[in-house]
Amino acid sequence: MFFGPSSPRPLLLLTALLGGPAAADDLFVDSQALPEVLTATRLKQSPAAVPGSMTVLDSELIRASGARDIPELLRLVPGMMVGYIAGNQPTVNYHGSNVNDARRMQVLIDGRSVYRAGLATVDWSDIPLAMEDIERIEVFRGPNTVSYGANALMAVVNILTRNPADSHGTRLKVTRGQRGINDWYASQGMGWDGGDLRLSLSGMQDDGFDETHKGLDYRDSRRLTRFSLSASHALAPDQSLDWQLSAKEGANQRPYTYKPVFYGVTAEGDNSDVAAKDYAGSVRWNIDFNPQHSLYVQGSAQHWDRQQVWRACDAALSFSPQLTQLWQLNPWYAEQLARNIRAPVPTGTAQEQALAGEVQAQWNVGGYQQVCGDIDQSTRETRYDLEIQDTLSLTDNLRLLSGVNYRYDRADSQTYFNGSLDDTTWRLFGQLEWRADEHWLIQGGAMYEDAHLSGSSLTPRVAVNYLITPRHGLRAVYSEAVRSPDMFENNVNWSYRVNNLSPTAFGQGSAEYFVKTRGPGNLDQERMRSRELGYNGFFADADLTLDLKLFHDEITGMVSEPLRNNQYIASNSNQARFTGSEVQADWRMTHADRLRMTYAYVDAWASNADDRRLSARNSGSAGWMRDWGMGWSSALFYYGADALNGYRFERADLRVAKRISLQRASLELAGMLQQRLDHEPTSSYDNLYDSRHVLYFSAELEF
Amino acid sequence: MRWLRCFLLLALFWPLAPLMAAEILLTGSADNAGVQHFVTALSAQRPNDQVRFVPLHQLARPGTLKPATRLILLDLEALDWRLTETAGPPALVLRISRVQAEQRLGSLRPPFLTLLWSDPPADRQLRLTHYLLPQARRIGVLYGENSRQLIDELRQAARPLGLEIVAQAWPDTRDNRALQTLLKDSDVLLGLDDPQLFNPKTAKNILLSSYARQMALIGPSAGFVRAGGLASTLSDQDDWLAMLGQLLDQPTGKWPRALYPTHFSVAANQQVARALGIEAIDLVAAAKAVAAGEANP
Repeated sequence: MFFGPSSPRPLLLLTALLGGPAAADDLFVDSQALPEVLTATRLKQSPAAVPGSMTVLDSELIRASGARDIPELLRLVPGMMVGYIAGNQPTVNYHGSNVNDARRMQVLIDGRSVYRAGLATVDWSDIPLAMEDIERIEVFRGPNTVSYGANALMAVVNILTRNPADSHGTRLKVTRGQRGINDWYASQGMGWDGGDLRLSLSGMQDDGFDETHKGLDYRDSRRLTRFSLSASHALAPDQSLDWQLSAKEGANQRPYTYKPVFYGVTAEGDNSDVAAKDYAGSVRWNIDFNPQHSLYVQGSAQHWDRQQVWRACDAALSFSPQLTQLWQLNPWYAEQLARNIRAPVPTGTAQEQALAGEVQAQWNVGGYQQVCGDIDQSTRETRYDLEIQDTLSLTDNLRLLSGVNYRYDRADSQTYFNGSLDDTTWRLFGQLEWRADEHWLIQGGAMYEDAHLSGSSLTPRVAVNYLITPRHGLRAVYSEAVRSPDMFENNVNWSYRVNNLSPTAFGQGSAEYFVKTRGPGNLDQERMRSRELGYNGFFADADLTLDLKLFHDEITGMVSEPLRNNQYIASNSNQARFTGSEVQADWRMTHADRLRMTYAYVDAWASNADDRRLSARNSGSAGWMRDWGMGWSSALFYYGADALNGYRFERADLRVAKRISLQRASLELAGMLQQRLDHEPTSSYDNLYDSRHVLYFSAELEF
Repeated sequence: MRWLRCFLLLALFWPLAPLMAAEILLTGSADNAGVQHFVTALSAQRPNDQVRFVPLHQLARPGTLKPATRLILLDLEALDWRLTETAGPPALVLRISRVQAEQRLGSLRPPFLTLLWSDPPADRQLRLTHYLLPQARRIGVLYGENSRQLIDELRQAARPLGLEIVAQAWPDTRDNRALQTLLKDSDVLLGLDDPQLFNPKTAKNILLSSYARQMALIGPSAGFVRAGGLASTLSDQDDWLAMLGQLLDQPTGKWPRALYPTHFSVAANQQVARALGIEAIDLVAAAKAVAAGEANP
């Protein structure tokens, strides 16, 4: 019996389904009181309609990469420059800028910024988050302070952790390998009516790089343990509460790098290791007023504790009050005098020369004596953050996102701030998404920020997407963004009080080192202007996603001076320009094969040479993931960059894994081989390995 | 062509149509606006018959009813009542799903019952999936204790369409691992009308998890489409009235043991389609395309 559908009715029916009164009276259309879940406020733009360039690293990719930490994963993002100061100090920058200070990218974990409050860097190794707890990473390639606040200058890395409801049961994992690799992970997830919770504990250890360019053992190993608790509660059908607590403790080795200023000093310390502890807690309350209106309130508290006490040696003269006075008068003159203390007094003003004479006299009466003492370079930083964000769907085609954010930052360091320093920041933001018709989508917004230490700023952003079809879109984006100078750059009050001096200097066991540096205090924000043209398309027949981007970014008022305590004068006098193109392709060739490719061409120019160092002109990655059946899988990746801080980087990674189903459990055994294809150090001349390859194995049990 | 088919079928059934007025008795435990609306519509459709609704608690044992009564059961309580004894007129059972039948009856199919399935048929849902997402090959299906029996049927229906059913048991709906595993291995999720798996408590989880992977949910019901599923086929009151019109014209002896409605329409969530990068769904065209694939008897 076939009568076919009665044609005029379905349209009426749809009206009924989407809220009309008729559905309630229809005995046959289900009357279950289902909540509207994917509401207008929850649904995001389809990939082709995203107002910018986005790279999503999904859990399959993260697992297949075999990466042990987040910076290594970010090599999969086109334009991302991953370098290392040392083995336990990775630096990641999008498109480039300074290799030592990666501070122009916003990094968030479930919406909480992990930027350090005082010294605005991201300590990737110290983030209290295990790779195994990451569900996916969304990288917004380009500035977006409107959505993510100041510091989202060049890119935003948004790390999303696994939902506790998806992590029930037990997971145990160990990884062992060459270069001292020794990682472990254990998690337990559970649920009850209306809630879920996951507890995970993990640890990580490795030796870092093997040797310096002088062939000496490189002191850059790390050891850490982490704790993390994540929970979600359904408070009511329209309200939920998520909270997280995490902590990390560990030790990061640092080599002794102090070079004595004075002639004849041979004694030295042996390290400047750091004991690093990170604590974070956040809570988020989500409320759906109705399908068209939702709001969340998120509060977080974080604390970064870096204990760094190390022993340094120099001549007793380093503590001369007269030399200190001379430094305050003329740092350049004082340094000349100190470095050539046995030479005649350099030419200067009468006052300088008089002081220099006194200092030289001190040298001859015991000032030359070697003294060693403890330097306390520890810092404690704290941040409290409160954000309210409201999403309102005004019509089917118009959506307004707005919010307010309050942040309190505090940094405590005798060495860097001569005590403590705090800052408060208020932020207002709003963004409107308007779908003019089925092809045109206009999204624009602005952020107003007012920081106590660095003043106020207003940054606009506008993007136009043209959807050729729903799966193929062209975009044009103009955005401005700012980065507030951090407390260190702007307000550093840098001096070393050296304790436990032995022998005493000038009769004191604790004295101030003569070099003192102060930040300018009046730095402005760095400003970025970014222009982008792009295309995003999904070819459904081939299961191929393609994203292309052309960009031209300019940063003005750039603070580029290296953070060194001799003659540190930060200014807004520098600028940089980045022009280029990027491509990203993800092709599920068959159900068993996935190919992925990224490439970035970056033409970087910067007024300060240091800001050009980490921009590889050509960089990219290529990957092939295959499921061979019978539990076997493999992943082969290639990463390449023609010059990171002047050094070529090329590496091939192979991961082979076998999944074994046991009774009510699953075991995965995996082997990972990383083979360097070049013979160069890794982004710095001291970063050398004994061998061009490393091998590590992991076993993971889930039940 | 369609008109010709209709005419032929009409010609076939014409001689079977009763010339005398029949008594059509509807019953159910609930007497609400929906029931009244349906009874009124059925009365209007059959002016020559005596159509009446009697609430279940007012009815005596089934065996006391006149054998010529055309009995229509509107809910499971009414079914339970009819099952209390074999004696009594044959009944058309409306608003019963395959999963509910499995729970109540197991494999038993009493000869005095005609089960009119309320859940969308597997092959129709698969054809809709294939029509909306032609590139999707692996169809993820969650099943429970009572819906396990549907998997084989789904597999059979999938084969001619070149689709693969990836079936995953979901014994504990508070534990998402089964859902996550399935989402990892499939291109689209097809929901079975199994209230143990698809209910207001699990809806949020299923829809948010699949959307996080940019994956669509087809079915299991109009409610799920409204909640955030992409689309589903469904049969509403008008479809069922048309269906009943044919059955009531036949002598009860010709009633089949079980039947899916041949009349249906398509419901879709256009907002979700847009967020998944799918063209706006033309409901009429979708229903026609799906109907075009229905096997003729």
